[in-house]
Amino acid sequence: MLLTVFIYLSIVAFIGLSLYKAYQFANMPMHGRWELYPVPKEPGERGHYGGSYYEDLEYWNKPREVSHSGEIIDMLKEMLFIKNLFVNQKRQWWLSYALHLGIYFLGLWTVLLAVGAIMELSGLPITTAEGVSSNGLASLIYYVTLISGGVGAILLGFGSIALFFKRSLNNSFAKYTTPQEYFNLFFLFAVVASGLVVWSGDPGFNYGREIFKALFTFSPVAADAALTIHILLLGAVMIYIPQTKMSHYVGKYFAFHKVLWDNDPNIRNSQMEGVIKQAISYKPKASWSAPHINPAAGQQDKK
Amino acid sequence: MADIRPQDIGKPSEQLSKIENLMSLPAPYDKPGMEPGFKPLKDSWKDDYCTTLDGFVGNEALQRPKTKEEEEAFVQGFLRGLEKLFSNETNRNYLQPFLLSFEYCAKCNTCSEACHVYKASGEQEIYRPIFRSEVLRKIAKKHMKGDGFWTRFNGGDIDINVETILRLGELAYRCNLCRRCAQTCPLGLDNGLLAREIRKIFSMELGIAPKPLHEKGSMLQLKTGSSTGITREAFLDMMEFMEEDLYERTGKKYKVPIDKKGADILLTHNAGEFMAWPENPAAFTILFEEAGLNWTLSSEMIGYDNVNYGLFYDDAQTRKIGLQQVKAAKDLGVRRIVVAECGHAHKAAMVSIDRALVGEDNIPRESFLPLLLDVMKKGVYKLDPKRNNFPVTLHDPCNIVRMMGVIQPQREIIKMVAPQFREMYPHGAKNFCCGGGSGFAIMNSFNFPDFRNKVSSRMKFKQILEAFQGVMEDDAPKYVCAPCSNCKGAIRDILEYYQATAKFNVHYGGLVELVVNAMVQFDKPFLEFLDEEEWIAEHVNK
Ligand code: SF4
Ligand code: SF4
Repeated sequence: MLLTVFIYLSIVAFIGLSLYKAYQFANMPMHGRWELYPVPKEPGERGHYGGSYYEDLEYWNKPREVSHSGEIIDMLKEMLFIKNLFVNQKRQWWLSYALHLGIYFLGLWTVLLAVGAIMELSGLPITTAEGVSSNGLASLIYYVTLISGGVGAILLGFGSIALFFKRSLNNSFAKYTTPQEYFNLFFLFAVVASGLVVWSGDPGFNYGREIFKALFTFSPVAADAALTIHILLLGAVMIYIPQTKMSHYVGKYFAFHKVLWDNDPNIRNSQMEGVIKQAISYKPKASWSAPHINPAAGQQDKK
Repeated sequence: MADIRPQDIGKPSEQLSKIENLMSLPAPYDKPGMEPGFKPLKDSWKDDYCTTLDGFVGNEALQRPKTKEEEEAFVQGFLRGLEKLFSNETNRNYLQPFLLSFEYCAKCNTCSEACHVYKASGEQEIYRPIFRSEVLRKIAKKHMKGDGFWTRFNGGDIDINVETILRLGELAYRCNLCRRCAQTCPLGLDNGLLAREIRKIFSMELGIAPKPLHEKGSMLQLKTGSSTGITREAFLDMMEFMEEDLYERTGKKYKVPIDKKGADILLTHNAGEFMAWPENPAAFTILFEEAGLNWTLSSEMIGYDNVNYGLFYDDAQTRKIGLQQVKAAKDLGVRRIVVAECGHAHKAAMVSIDRALVGEDNIPRESFLPLLLDVMKKGVYKLDPKRNNFPVTLHDPCNIVRMMGVIQPQREIIKMVAPQFREMYPHGAKNFCCGGGSGFAIMNSFNFPDFRNKVSSRMKFKQILEAFQGVMEDDAPKYVCAPCSNCKGAIRDILEYYQATAKFNVHYGGLVELVVNAMVQFDKPFLEFLDEEEWIAEHVNK
């Protein structure tokens, strides 16, 4: 039963800590504009070549056009394909993308395991004593789970260990890599390796569905030593990730949306002006000490 | 010291890094003897300034502490300032972008390839965009978390001593804040921003910033009205002189409207133009007057200088100057402010100060580019592009393209007046900095101009040479159009340094001069270097 509780705890920690990170960023004070073009929400060609409403005469008298589709497409390209890395550093992209694609496949695999578990709980077994169920939907779930889990594990395992070695052996990377960054990659690899051990004993990932069934019914997970180690490592990494910079899935959202692509102009009597009014009414409780900012601080230093 | 790591920044040595293999330049600068060498470092500088980073001194206000107590106060002051970067109270305006860039770097090195300083220097490690960011991270981690196992595990392994801080203070001025690196970052992080945050610690906490930016820049501007030191009286004299000069050049009497209450447009110039390139405000006068625009200049405090050097190093100065500039417009009751040919002034007036203005202060501000294009499209000026029938290339000021997204209007304008226009590559939002960005153009102390001309401006010089490949050695004039005061300063210096004007007839100037030069109503070229009988006979159809 302890394992069941631990799994719940790690899921809650992963989601909760990630949301808390997002909450912290979302609640920071309004910052000065720091956009960087191209901004994909600029409509049409502008979103590509890097133009903005500042190219229009008296832009403040024109309706502001925003291309949400442009923004979403760019966001998806970045999320699904890590476009910027692909365009600017292909060699690194292969390894990094393997790792990230592996995680996406494993995400799909997790969802499919949960779906499979629900189906089994509702009386539609995915596998029977004779093998994979003859039911079309059940066998579809079985095979897609198998493929996504297998491909995901191999990609993530390869990506993490390949990046680990690249970081260790390529001097330009090694110089900037902290012990924790090696540890992070190795940790991911260790989780995959422990998973591969478990998987080798049950290639159909039936153990995964059993775990979800235990979670849904809040009953003990039946686990041998290998599975127990795998669950502990996986749970630990889920608790650990949001507390490290591996939580860049949160940071990246804010870096693009709230900084580089945030070019909404402050037009007289607009909603933005209202937000700004509110923000600039804040009176900071501390100040910098240079003489041109706070002459009194300099005097105090001298005393 | 070969193979430098960020941790080495505090290790004692005569000079941490030395530039040896500069990026090569294309023909005709690929031959030996075409480029002057670095000026040697003077021993007398070593005691007082930080010469130990790379042998250049850019920040003359960054002086070596003389006693142990001074050293301690210097380091502690830096650390106090560093803490303020992380505070909601003291860094409200940049907290979010700062923390994102501080926290999330994956050290993937994608940004290195985008940096012209790193590439031009022959890939000197200390100029790699993440080098200085990583030094900052290490100092912050060690200072805030103590010197234990977990700190080192987390990358806080660095000596925080006077050498570390001095070198970082210089290193903050080896980045043009051009943000080209940030365009390539898969996580949207910004090493340019971090370089600026480091500059802020020195300026806002310790009062240390290069004199041309601070003492003789923003402080002088707040005191006299202009970073050039031009007072109101001097400005008025200059305008009178400019009117006379315009009469001499064009044979037509133009009156510069000054302090015209209720005008539609307040035009703001970088006051450096009045001194170094008066033909630029003169060309604006012609264009605005000929178009019958209802415009004015301001002679009020800071109203005649759109410079805002605070942008490069200090938020408090940015704000003070920005608000004063808006006040000048408000006092005149103009409908809009139009910013003339100055890149950082564009960004300062339109982007940086945007979220500080409300109510009556929130006067619309725009670039001169869409306005000029609109007037030209209406056919207001009679133009003969043949008057500009020589190779012309266009430099994009980072602040206008990458940081504001104004890219097409200048191209449409230039294509209307320059038949031999050719782009540099890359251009537009992906351009390279002129090498003078973030204050470098006016930082001329000690041997810093060598760094600018040979390293930070090198990529731009390469682009210029490439744009003129095939015609470089022809007698015909060639023109680098740079619609920005600071960029013009940097380009002037490289053309001089490499003797490109003397040897290859390469000139530089703004965009409006090129437009006026094409106006058929004048019987003399507006660009002085064309003022030769032969050229006039061939190109200026009366
Ligand atoms: S590209 Fe971004 S994540 Fe990669 S090293 Fe540069 S700043 Fe860090
Ligand atoms: S901002 Fe520009 S100069 Fe500075 S590190 Fe980035 S690319 Fe290099």
